[in-house]
Amino acid sequence: MAAATEGHYHDRVVTVLVVFAMVWALVGLAAGVYVAAELVWPGLDLGQPWLSFGRLRTFHTNMVIFGFGVPALIATAFYSVQRTSHVPLFMPGLAWFVCIAWQVAILLGGASLLAGMTTSKEYAELEWPFDIAIAVVWVSFAIVFFGTIAMRKVKQIYVSNWFYGALIIVVAMLHIVNNLAIPVTPTKSYSLYAGAQDALVQWWYGHNAVGFLLTGGFLGMLYYFLPKQADRPIWSYRLSIIAFWAFTYSYIWAGPHHLHYNAVPEWVQSLGVVMSLILLAPSWATMINGIMTVSGAWEKLRTDPALKFIVLALAFYGLATFEGPMMSIRSVNLVSHFTDWTIGHVHSGALGWNALITFGTFYFLVPRLVGAELYSRKLANLHFWLALAGIMLYLLAMWAAGVSQGLLWLSLDELGELRFSFTDIMASMAPYYMLRLLAGVIFLAGAVLMAVNLFFTIAGRATIRVRPPLAAEPASG
Amino acid sequence: MSGLDLHRRLEENAGLLIFGILVVSAIGGLVQILPSLFQHSLSHPAENVRPYTALELTGRDIYIRDGCSTCHSQQIRSLLAEVERYGPYSRAGEFVYDRPFLWGSKRTGPDLQRVGGKYTDVWHRMHLTDPRSVVPESIMPAYPWLGERAAGASGDIQAKLEALRTLGHPYSDEEIAQAAAALEGRTELDAVIAYLQHLGTTLGPGDRP
Amino acid sequence: MTTTGFSPLLIARLLTKPSAVFQQLADSRPPAAEVFFKLAIWLGLLPPVFAYLGASRFGWNLGAIEPLFLPSPVLAGISFAYFLTLLFGFVTTALVSQWMATTYGARHSLGIHFAMITVVGAPLAVGSVIHLYPHVFLNVVVLVPALIWSMFLLYRGLPIVLRINPQRGMLMASALIAYLLVAAVSLLGLTVMLWGLGIGPRVGI
Repeated sequence: MAAATEGHYHDRVVTVLVVFAMVWALVGLAAGVYVAAELVWPGLDLGQPWLSFGRLRTFHTNMVIFGFGVPALIATAFYSVQRTSHVPLFMPGLAWFVCIAWQVAILLGGASLLAGMTTSKEYAELEWPFDIAIAVVWVSFAIVFFGTIAMRKVKQIYVSNWFYGALIIVVAMLHIVNNLAIPVTPTKSYSLYAGAQDALVQWWYGHNAVGFLLTGGFLGMLYYFLPKQADRPIWSYRLSIIAFWAFTYSYIWAGPHHLHYNAVPEWVQSLGVVMSLILLAPSWATMINGIMTVSGAWEKLRTDPALKFIVLALAFYGLATFEGPMMSIRSVNLVSHFTDWTIGHVHSGALGWNALITFGTFYFLVPRLVGAELYSRKLANLHFWLALAGIMLYLLAMWAAGVSQGLLWLSLDELGELRFSFTDIMASMAPYYMLRLLAGVIFLAGAVLMAVNLFFTIAGRATIRVRPPLAAEPASG
Repeated sequence: MSGLDLHRRLEENAGLLIFGILVVSAIGGLVQILPSLFQHSLSHPAENVRPYTALELTGRDIYIRDGCSTCHSQQIRSLLAEVERYGPYSRAGEFVYDRPFLWGSKRTGPDLQRVGGKYTDVWHRMHLTDPRSVVPESIMPAYPWLGERAAGASGDIQAKLEALRTLGHPYSDEEIAQAAAALEGRTELDAVIAYLQHLGTTLGPGDRP
Repeated sequence: MTTTGFSPLLIARLLTKPSAVFQQLADSRPPAAEVFFKLAIWLGLLPPVFAYLGASRFGWNLGAIEPLFLPSPVLAGISFAYFLTLLFGFVTTALVSQWMATTYGARHSLGIHFAMITVVGAPLAVGSVIHLYPHVFLNVVVLVPALIWSMFLLYRGLPIVLRINPQRGMLMASALIAYLLVAAVSLLGLTVMLWGLGIGPRVGI
């Protein structure tokens, strides 16, 4: 395989990763719709442990983050690092290993979660054999990625690669430290950390998984694909430098905002608040960079349905990176913690930012990978409206549910006693869960349209072979 | 050398870039986590706190396996309404034998940190087997399989206690030797109920909120 | 030439012939004061008035719980605050839109931005009739589709009314939506913070 593509970019592995990402996206989104339905009709688990909400929800989060998100990141990292370095991938065989091994890990890992093999630590639920397997694949990913950069013919490392690089390095650090455990059996381990200490380590991990995987990695995607789609350079290079380092430094500190009024030292909680607020600056600096880059490239919107998704993704990125710091303020958090408002916030980011920017990137990338026009621009446009409607309905249902819950749990009457029973409050959430289910169905429908669209775009076509530019050409990423 | 020139150095050297990212991203974690690993109150048991018995530990691991912490938190915040609803707020010293911690991040169902002793065993039996039989509006899934499986089916309780002892939980030799016997004749449902009935019992209504 | 139908009739036409309304606005140069006093302020009055009437008659219903009745003066105060918030939101959104117009090459007059925001926000104002029965869920069911309709009107109408091409209009509309999302969540956060300070329902913190 390496010989056949010698002198050409290795893009077949990118195409395969994109396809898998879409497959897992559908699986993960469908699982999300199913668990949303289970919150309306609990009997939907049909008496089966593996369909039970507690296990299926974990399956959903892992499928969308590690099944949809990570392959999308690896695919776009492989695609962009070659082109910004003007060399084919370093060790293409290893790149194929990363691709295949990751999908096997997701398949088996997903099954293990349904079987009840879990640590219960959020987004680190996979047990120790999978932790080790993932680490091996991740190191391989790092070798291919950094190896390609080391072999580059372009002197400077382009900004998108800093973000992908931070993704790789920081996630490795987080994964290793948080998953330290004593194995007891092949399916069970005990965390090295206990109680309050475990809480601090877990949320250092959990928040930064969001920070460096779901935010940082996708910013790498943005910094490469947006200028490509807009056909102009990033609006401010200087801003991107400051934003990158401020981002990498501050995000790490934000973890304790998940632990307000909990049994951890107050100074750690306060530090979490301050740094979460500071984080707003680099986040929005990046958003502005993106908006200003695209505002000069409006003509592209006429011919390119993909760009619409990126533009809307930036809007939701702005919302999510504002809402996060806002919710980390103690006086907001005391109402929002443990409620559906947190769920709403997660999904405005996951659907509004991550999913939309990936959709936009794939709509742009796939036609180029196979040398064909997108099968249907009409379907892509319909997908846009379905995605927007689904996200808005989800968000508003969860905002309403979350604020109600938070307020009602804390409500006292004139005598200073609890006004409402937990059960009554929980029962009043039912209609909001119904709306959220509808929102999920709408969003999933859009994703299905996309899968169909991409399938027909790719069907019967091979990945085209592209040569890196000759050394004499100017370095233009 | 200006900032931009310094940065150019980083952009032209992958090794420097990797090192820079590692150092910058490690700082926050070191500052926030390291001190906690040496803080007495976070790692020493509060009064009356003891490691889980074999049956309770089995129940806890089932709680983890079936994803109960997805909907139930175990962390009472130091807020008036919360203390009124659930009891004294959670102290760090109560969780020193919790591996992993199960504070949760969502309350679809109520907080369980002090559920111990609040309901009878019979109530728990009915509730876990069919939640709607005792709480008609409940959306909790049913767990009928718990009553049908033996608590000791996986046969690993001794290995578990030994592993925990390595991590510092003060189990005696007899406790470990008798662990399998402690599970004999018990179902997973018995184990979960034993676990739930123990939760938060080291602090009661008579204690400071 | 400017006073072409700045009246409730405009809103009625919006429901049946939105493109015609947008085109009419595109061809007009309404003064800001006229839009504000002839149309915007009346539409802005609908939600607080409906809310007051509904809450007095039926109380606030939060689902499986007894409706909550508050004394009339308190309800009047809440409605007034609601009205002021809507006016503040309306004016600031129009000002932000006007500020963005420079980047996107759009029309700059405050009056046309007032007119656009008024027309685009009309579904929400009209939909607020559901406040007459203040059941939280019912309000969400009516107002969320109204909101999505408003967003659709924004994407459709902005380029026509502000006389820019559809692509630049799409970008500007998206930027405005980003602002509105942030404003909405800020309102949520601010409200919650006020409750914590004791301004609002009694909370045990």
